[in-house]
Amino acid sequence: MEPRIGVYVCHCGSNIAGTVDVEEVSRFAGELESVKVARDYKFMCSEPGQNMIKDDIRELGLNRVVVASCSPTLHEPTFRRVCQESGINPYLFQMANIREQCSWVTEDHDGATVKAKALVGAAVNRVYYHEPLDVRQVSINPNTLVVGGGIAGIQAALEIADAGHKVYLVERTPSIGGHMAQLDKTFPTLDCSACILTPKMTLVSRHPNIELLTYSEVEDVSGYIGSFKVKIRKKARYVDTAKCNGCTECEKACPVEVPSEFNLGLSKRKAIYRPFHQAVPNIVTIDKRGAPPCRTACPAGVDAQGYVALISKGKYGEALDVFRRTQPFAGVCGRICTHPCEADCERGKVDQPVAIRYLKRFMADYELKAGRGKARKVDLISKHKVAVIGSGPAGLACAYDLIRLGYPVTVFEAAPEAGGLMRYAIPEYRLPRKILDNEISFIRELGVEIRTNSRVDSFKEVFDKGYKVIFMGVGAGISQKMGIPNEDMDGVLHALDFLRKVRMGEDVKVGKRVAVIGGGNAAVDAARTAVRLGAEEVTMVYRRSRAEMPALNAEIEEGLHEGVKIHALAGPVAVLEEDGKISGIRCIRMELGEPDESKRRRPMPIKGSEFDIPLDNVIIAVGQLVDKTSLTRDLEYTSFGTVSVDPTTFQTNIDGVFAGGDVISGPDDVISAIEAGKEAAISIDHYLKGIDLKEGRPVRPERVKDVPREHIEKKIRKIMPLLELDRRKDFAEVETGFTEAMAMEEAQRCLNCGVCSECWECVSSCERGAIDHNQKDEIVEASVGNIIVATGYEIFKPQGIYEYGYGRFDNVLTALEFERMVNSAGPTEGHVYLKDGSQPKSIAIIHCVGSRDKNCHEYCSRVCCMYSLKLGHLAREHIPGVEVYEFYIDVRAFGKGFEEFYNRIIREGTTFIEARPGGVTDVAETPQEQGKLMVLYEEETGHNERRRLPVDMVILSTAIEPQPDVKSISRLFNINQSADGFFLERHPKLDPIATATDGVFVIGCCQGPKDIPDTVAQASAAAAEVLSLIGQGNIEIEAATAFIDEKICSGCQICRIVCPYSAIEFIEEKGVCRVNEVLCKGCGACVGGCFSNSICLKHFTGEQLVAEMENMLA
Amino acid sequence: MRQKIGDQPRIVGFLCKWCSYAGADLAGTSRKKYPSNLTVLKVPCSGRIDPLFVLKGLRLGFDGVLVSGCHPGDCHYQTGNYRARRRIVITKKFLEYLGIPEERIQASWVSAAEGTKFARVVADVVENVRAIGPNNLFNNEG
Repeated sequence: MEPRIGVYVCHCGSNIAGTVDVEEVSRFAGELESVKVARDYKFMCSEPGQNMIKDDIRELGLNRVVVASCSPTLHEPTFRRVCQESGINPYLFQMANIREQCSWVTEDHDGATVKAKALVGAAVNRVYYHEPLDVRQVSINPNTLVVGGGIAGIQAALEIADAGHKVYLVERTPSIGGHMAQLDKTFPTLDCSACILTPKMTLVSRHPNIELLTYSEVEDVSGYIGSFKVKIRKKARYVDTAKCNGCTECEKACPVEVPSEFNLGLSKRKAIYRPFHQAVPNIVTIDKRGAPPCRTACPAGVDAQGYVALISKGKYGEALDVFRRTQPFAGVCGRICTHPCEADCERGKVDQPVAIRYLKRFMADYELKAGRGKARKVDLISKHKVAVIGSGPAGLACAYDLIRLGYPVTVFEAAPEAGGLMRYAIPEYRLPRKILDNEISFIRELGVEIRTNSRVDSFKEVFDKGYKVIFMGVGAGISQKMGIPNEDMDGVLHALDFLRKVRMGEDVKVGKRVAVIGGGNAAVDAARTAVRLGAEEVTMVYRRSRAEMPALNAEIEEGLHEGVKIHALAGPVAVLEEDGKISGIRCIRMELGEPDESKRRRPMPIKGSEFDIPLDNVIIAVGQLVDKTSLTRDLEYTSFGTVSVDPTTFQTNIDGVFAGGDVISGPDDVISAIEAGKEAAISIDHYLKGIDLKEGRPVRPERVKDVPREHIEKKIRKIMPLLELDRRKDFAEVETGFTEAMAMEEAQRCLNCGVCSECWECVSSCERGAIDHNQKDEIVEASVGNIIVATGYEIFKPQGIYEYGYGRFDNVLTALEFERMVNSAGPTEGHVYLKDGSQPKSIAIIHCVGSRDKNCHEYCSRVCCMYSLKLGHLAREHIPGVEVYEFYIDVRAFGKGFEEFYNRIIREGTTFIEARPGGVTDVAETPQEQGKLMVLYEEETGHNERRRLPVDMVILSTAIEPQPDVKSISRLFNINQSADGFFLERHPKLDPIATATDGVFVIGCCQGPKDIPDTVAQASAAAAEVLSLIGQGNIEIEAATAFIDEKICSGCQICRIVCPYSAIEFIEEKGVCRVNEVLCKGCGACVGGCFSNSICLKHFTGEQLVAEMENMLA
Repeated sequence: MRQKIGDQPRIVGFLCKWCSYAGADLAGTSRKKYPSNLTVLKVPCSGRIDPLFVLKGLRLGFDGVLVSGCHPGDCHYQTGNYRARRRIVITKKFLEYLGIPEERIQASWVSAAEGTKFARVVADVVENVRAIGPNNLFNNEG
């Protein structure tokens, strides 16, 4: 059919005609090819305008229409409908945008007219090539997703649900209620916020049509209006929601306290918590943020936060139980551990790390003092016997874990007593015998059999006795030699032998002058032991500098304190003898060169710098080696002389033999040996169960990422009390331990990085057995037809305005903080207190903090004026006789009843000062100002003189701002943001809750600041829109989809890679691609990717677009 | 058909309907002023913009072509603007190969909320294209 085109140029009053010569454009259009009629009219969108088109279609037989007017976003649907009503396919219509993109953007009349002509000419040429398209219909899924459980989401959900349709209401915090639940009263009527909100919250929880998903977040949205698919992550609450009845007994049991979000940090909540009394659902949630750094830093994975939290509450026994979940040596590790936990402690970033090791020691000592009940013998559920050779920390840790898994374990120890180096190398003054005895007997009581004086010479003899598996932790018990002359003569001692003999009570004598060679812990132990044995002059000779000494610094310090001297940068070259007796050592001075493999700088001898030290004894402590005995003969060794094992499984080359501790690592600390023993225990368990040793091993939990460091008062770490010097003559313990008060206070310094400390106190407190620490996140998939986004807002953080002193001065609060204070269920139960506990006599309220401020937010937050007036009223109500000053720029009392409320507040006696204060200071200039906060301002109406107003409390009326993650929310739901960051509605006046994405609506403060009545009105409006769509059942959607001409398609399938919706299928038998019209969204990306030019995007074909372009130049 | 209006640069713009076209509308609604040299084609997505359109535009006699879509990451169709971005780079290389200044293609990302930015983009584009002079490439054709 030959195209017969009608062109209609709209004046839009003077909006277009004021700039564009519309008659000229119309005349020009009339002369274009195929144009049968061209007219201009004042308002084309009006009834007469529409009728004009209809009449022409009928009378002139038009079959294509062009309207040059406003943006197609506004009236394209209008004119398409006009066409349709006149029997023309709505796609045989084109619109030229000569208002938004022409008359409104220039003042140049000629230029605008030329441009309008170009746009009209282009539209005419384009419509010439238009083809009729079928309008597609999609059905509307009657389910709706509401995101955000504030008053907006609650209202919308209830209205849709009441109409009989299913609603998924998703809220990311543990309870619905949003900010409204935090408010005390609502302006201007002053009704109680909770009283009007909580009934609605309860309705939501009971509504059969509402599926309430709290502590959940929408993760993915796909599809389009009518049929969205959403994935919702239900975060693990670690509580069985069906069993929990909100009794909150667990809250009482939980030892962890963190700032309450609901009370804005003005009070504390527990790690297991219900955010507020009327929370819906009325259940608790455990806040787990990840593993605390102390736990991830510990090689054995001891849950330090757990026992520290319990110590802070005086639950020492429970604390020790938490420790013993991982390993048995609290008293030992509390004394000699190298405490990597403290090195990573987040508290260290504030002031100093928590004294974790001393706290550990405290609870072990406490038990010893209070007396311990006998440990319950473990039921041995396995028949497989395990042998452990060596009773050092590795062997005993392995035995401890295996017995608790139910394996019968026998430990073989060559020495007369168990404990390995813990017993025979660490001096009594560091680790008293009774501590070790207690912990070893605890292991024995569990059922581990420890056979002392039982040397094992071969694995075979053990296997022959019926043991299925062997763990070998025989240590590295041979002192390393130095290879210098006279090393073996009398008077030269080796540290391990020396310490062992002393420990075993042998009569060891040392001379007056003793030198210890080496800088490790054994060297320091030997030196300090020598002091105790009566040596008068003890010198440590170390080849690097003091800073490189590997011994614990506190130990070195104490050694120095006790009189030990350090001769650093000296290396012994020979032991000197005189008359067959030792007379001294010859050393050479060293200097430090480049770092070696241990990353320490390598000592280099300085030629000719030898010097002699006269001595009576030398103790060599330069290292320990693994003893190659008949037992270890068949094992593979590393090049360092240690036994070679698989680094994950701790398995040796001999089947059924595992090894750990110093025997595989060389001399290392106790906690690493315990780690090896524990890891080997896992392998042995797998081995005996016949499952893969590497697979299914417990995964180390991930370290918590961000630990908030706000509002933390600096507090000095408790110092370990030490024995006075003159009492250190015998081997009495030097560190005397924390008192109970010290321990509790120190434990309270913990920042509770992981929040939940996994102490499991809640588990035992819950009578209903509702706690499940192993719960996992769940993904809920839902199909919905429409989505209502009600994600709310965040309060502006006034730290950004330094001069107002928030965070610097105690009595500067935000409005919401004050709101919580006056709330009778709030942190102060409705009393307003200054930091010192007294009541304020005067309060200044500063309006527009963060709003109407080019440095923060340019917009007005719309609620602050009224809530400030409300707070003024509440202040007077709660504090009799208080003076209230409101600092305002303008008082915007624009809503229903607002002006009346404003007048009421004025009558009540609040003082209004028209000024934006320049700052708040605590620097007093007069005696009257002493101890007050001075608001600095210049009154607008006065003589611009600077004034100071001393008050007791300053309240900042902070702005409303978009959620911090607004960007990702906007991407998730495909919503645009306006320049202020809030979500962009489709039209600011006529489509205020719809968005550019059909089927997605925005309501409440996520769209822009607004008060509760406006929010509720929007929520109802969104419900009405959704219900209207559900009522229609079907909706027309864009017909512009891609189409593949199968005759030309080469079957290369590149389009399938390009398509983001997987809407293109490959038809195997024809070797061509085909578009699935239901899935195609009409983006057209595939067209540009098609090599054979066989794809066209309907209504946006190359022909049409090029035709449009061609006539633009005319 | 290829008659030039005055000596101004003529520029054709391909704007995606979700972001840049809406941004251009917002510029109008907020009465931002910008030069009249640009005439706009609306496309569903910047991913629809075929490099051939750019060449066709220059062939027709436009002095410059503007391609504009949603900000990277904000595409209404997930990845369309990433496709557009790659295609622009390739087309620029191709123009360079043909001896055409690559400035004849101009690209920018304008969101629906950035009316002011759109006006500035147009002013900049006109300025940039004016600087390289009129497109006389195909004037001698018969």
